[in-house]
Formats: sequence, C-alpha cells, structure tokens
Amino acid sequence: MGDVLDDKENSLVGEFLQGEAEPSSSWVMLAMGFVSTIIFLILYGILFPDSDLPVISSVLPVFDGVFDSGIWFFILGAMIGVFAILGTMLTEATSE
Amino acid sequence: MVAVFIMINRGFWVFTDVSKSLSMFMLEKALGPPIDFVEGKKGSAATTWILHGALWLIPSSTVTFCGLWLAHDPDALHSLSSWGLNPSSPSLIVSGFLITVYGSIGMLLIGAAMHIVPELGGTDLATEKNATLMSLIWTLAVFVMFVATNNPEILGFKIMIVSTVLINLALLAIIVNLLITAASRSKKMPLPGWMMIIGLISAPISVVSLVVSGSIDTGIGQWLATRMAGTTFFLMLSGALLYGASRGSGNPLWSRSLAAVTLSGAIITISPAGLIEGDVAADFLALDKAIFDPSRNDIIAGSFLLALSLIPAIALSANVLATLRGDDVFMENPDSPGMPEINLAAFMIVPITIGALFISTDHLTGTNELTGIHMSLALMGIWLVSVPASLGSALSIFPEVSGRNVLSINRSRWAFWLMAGGAFSGLVFTMMADFSDMTLTEAAIEEEIRTANRLRVLGSILFYGTVLGAIYHSMNMISGTFRGSLVGAESSESSTSISSPYKLTKETTIRKILAQREGKLDTVVIPETTTEDQGRATEL
Repeated sequence: MGDVLDDKENSLVGEFLQGEAEPSSSWVMLAMGFVSTIIFLILYGILFPDSDLPVISSVLPVFDGVFDSGIWFFILGAMIGVFAILGTMLTEATSE
Repeated sequence: MVAVFIMINRGFWVFTDVSKSLSMFMLEKALGPPIDFVEGKKGSAATTWILHGALWLIPSSTVTFCGLWLAHDPDALHSLSSWGLNPSSPSLIVSGFLITVYGSIGMLLIGAAMHIVPELGGTDLATEKNATLMSLIWTLAVFVMFVATNNPEILGFKIMIVSTVLINLALLAIIVNLLITAASRSKKMPLPGWMMIIGLISAPISVVSLVVSGSIDTGIGQWLATRMAGTTFFLMLSGALLYGASRGSGNPLWSRSLAAVTLSGAIITISPAGLIEGDVAADFLALDKAIFDPSRNDIIAGSFLLALSLIPAIALSANVLATLRGDDVFMENPDSPGMPEINLAAFMIVPITIGALFISTDHLTGTNELTGIHMSLALMGIWLVSVPASLGSALSIFPEVSGRNVLSINRSRWAFWLMAGGAFSGLVFTMMADFSDMTLTEAAIEEEIRTANRLRVLGSILFYGTVLGAIYHSMNMISGTFRGSLVGAESSESSTSISSPYKLTKETTIRKILAQREGKLDTVVIPETTTEDQGRATEL
C-alpha cells in the first residue's frame, strides 16, 4: 500500500504539460475548420440566395444604421486584440 | 557621405572633443525636465523603438485592411460620417502604407540600428535617454501623418509639413546619437553597421544637397530626391537583414563582397519600391507635384538606374539566404526569433523587385498599362518584404536588448503564419481583382465587375490574418518583456540548456524534455580540456 502511495507521489500522471512543439497533424484540424466554414457559407448562399450574411445591426437593432456592414465584425475583432494588449500591459505591470 | 565617413574616423580636427561634448549636451541636458521622464539603462532605447514599431503594426494592418474592404464596399464605414470622417479606399490604403513605412518599419529599423551600431562597434549607445525620448516624438509624427493623409488641411493649414518637421527633428537627434556612438567605437565596424548609418544619413544629406544646389527640377536633383526614402529604407533593411541572419543562424556572413555590392548599389541606383505618383513626396516637402515631371533624358537615365537596382536586391537576397543556411540547404535555428520572417523577406525580395521594375518603368515611360496593379504590388513589397525583414531583424535582437525572450515560440510561429499567409493570399487575390478590372475595363464589360468585387472580398478577408498576426506578435513581445525567460538563464551546459521552469532534480521523462525543447533533443559535446599546442587533439 505504501509503495503504491509512493508511486502516486512520484508519478508524472496528472501533471499538466504544454510544450512548444506543434504536432505535425494539427493542420488537419485547421483545414477541417476552414473547409467547414466555406461549406457553411456556400450552404447559406444556397438556402438564402437573396439574403446577405447577418451583420451586427441585424442581430442588435439598437445599432441599426451604425454597424450595418460586415467590416465591423473585423474591426471589433481588432479592437478586442488592442484591448487584450492594454489589459496584458496593465496586469503584467501591476502583478506581484 | 564621404565627408561624414572621414569625420567619424578622423574627427573634426581640434574641435572633436568640443563637438562631442556640445552634441551630448544638446541631446540630454539641453532638453531639460523631459529627459528625466525616460529610462537610460542599456538597451532601453532599442527596446522602446522596437515595441513602438511592433505596436504600430496593428493600426497599419487594420487601416490597410479597411482600405482593401472599402474597395469593394465603399459605404461600409459611412456611419463614421456622423463624426465628420469620410474614409475612402485610396485614402485609407495610402495612409496605411505611410504608417506602415514610418510607424512600423521605420521604428523597428531604427530600434535595430540602436543595437547593431554599438554592438558592431564594441561600444555603448551615446545616450539611451535621448534615443528613448525621440521614440515618442516619432510616434507623434506618424500619428500626424495618418491624420494628414486622410484630412490634409485643418483650419486652412497643411498639416503634413508638421509631420515632416517632427520626423526630421527626431531623425537629426538619432543621427547625431549614432554618429557619436560610431566615433567612439573600439573595433572595426562591419558593413551592416555602416549600412545602418549611411542609410540614416542619406535622407537629410539628399535634402540638404537639394536645397543647396536648388536642382529639384533637374535630373540630378530628382535622383537626389529618390535617395530620401528608397536608399534610406533599403540600406537600413539590408543592414538589419544581414545582421539578423548571421546572429539568428549563428553562421558568419556569407559574403562581404555581396554586402559591399548591396551598399554601393543602394547608393547609386534608384529603388523601384514605393509609390509611383509622387503626390506623397510632394506633400512631404510642401512642393507642387508637377516639379517631379521627368524630361526625356531623365526617363532614359531613370530607366537604366531602375534596372540596375536589381543587382543589390539579388546580392542581398543571396547573401541572406546563404548565411541562414550555412553549409547545407536547411535553415539553421528555424525556431530562433525572427528567422522565418527574415527567410520570407529574402525569398520575396527578388520577384517583387522585378515586378516593381516593370511597373516603375511602365509608369516612367508614360505607357501606364500596369498602373492598375501598382498599389497591390506596393503593398506586397511592404507586407512580404519590408515588414518581415524589419520585424524579423528586430525579433532576433529583441531578447538581447530587453533581457528576456519572447513569451512563446509557439505563438511567435502562429503570428508568422498568420501575417505571412494573410498578406500573401490576401494581396494575391487583390492583384487578381486588379488584373480583372484592367482587362474588363479595357473591354468595356460592365456586368463582369462583380467578379473582381468577389475577389476583393476574399482578398480583404484573407488580409485580416495580418491584423491577427500583428496582435499576436505585439502581445508575445510585450508579455515577453515581463514574463519571458531570462536570456542569461540559457547556457551551454547540457543540463541547463533545457528551457524549463522546473529543475531536473528528480526523475523525468523524454516526453517532458521533448515538450520543453520544442521537439528536439540533442547531445552537447563539451571539451574536457583545451590546449594551445598546435595540432594537438582536444579531449572530449
């Protein structure tokens, strides 16, 4: 029993590991994601041929006439990135 | 330039000490309290400039992305008109181009120069404090430049000239700083160091020569005018690339002769990089654009000097690629910071220079058959050569100047693929749309314009990868300055070369070591004893 406990203490099972190496087959998952996105967009075009893709103002009517182009999704993404950098700077500078 | 070179080596006769003391006074004490707001420790100037340059990549790529988007959807940002802003595709692309060149590329290269010149000269930067302070002035100038491109006149005053004044003010301080540094060098400085210095001084020297000679409307005057940006950026890029390739790969510079050809070629020939219209150059100097119209003789001489510019480009590309590879076909240290970017820039410089040569010659001779793809090719030159070259070089020296490595090699790799993939695929699709527009406009087919628009949609969305890559790179570098592994912590000992946060004081597994060593496990052979006796074997 004691040996088993010792083994558990010394065992590496249960530790979280994250390496810097990238598995060679991970691109398959990325390719699948990319292909799925394309399929979804094509399917949307077939099912709703006269409808453009929804934009922010079509989901949130309060932004009607403001965020009424797909470009705002991308700009908001970039803004999130900028705020993430600002947040990182603040938290890194103030962390103990 | 020759006079500057001689003065750096020989000094100002009996005024050498006086001029050095006076310059140092002007750079530090004369600035009063502001100089005390900035840090003066070794490497702080280069770190600040490099971080500013990396952060400028985000607005640069975002503005360029918006410009590409508005090319197929001109009303996408119409809601900004309530704030008095009416952005259009050409204005956004040109402003994106300028803030990329001066904000990102310029700041990354100057940051690299602040490490390369003292390092190769075996000395310290003359004043870190002034150099750090000037980064703020430069950033302000780039911001004014961005506003001026989109709104040239505010209250009836042309504001681009404000940006020119601010940039030249900062540039003057940087040049004096680096010249004093070069004058106090303790060893012979290799060519990349001289490339950085000559690149920096070529802009003000050409402007002074133009003003003194008053020859702006002659062929020689226009040749001098092309020294302002083309030679400056090409020489600084070359110096940074050659230094970064050697430093990152651990291989010596492949050929000094090719480096010398790059240096002399960049001084003499006319670089085809950049915009062909001349509006921006005229705005910078507050001149009329018509003054740049070339005569017939200028066209012949200009075409010849443009064609010659391929020589330094090929010499640079070959030298960098051979230095990166050493003795075999594989790149050394591919995971070393900045190596993939430097490799990409060295690969792309020749095909893009050839393309730019065709377009420049086509425009110079008045044929204008290829003007339609000029902007996409100029953006390719920026995002596939200049940005990777400056960013790669800056990344390769960043650990040394900041004292810490970037936070994650894995994130760095992702950022590279996002930036490179986004820029390449996005701009290729945009160029396809440009070709389609040119062909269909010529054939007067209006119905098929939708095809080009669809390609532009795809091109702009793919280019968004560049925005994401810029954010990844910036965050990786900023986090690295706080939490990145210390540079001094890595030594040549086999046990400590594992970049690991844990100590090898208990059992471990190969899987664990491989995970920390980026998938590579190597055996280090350490000489047990060394001897000075000639021909005697080293004991291992």
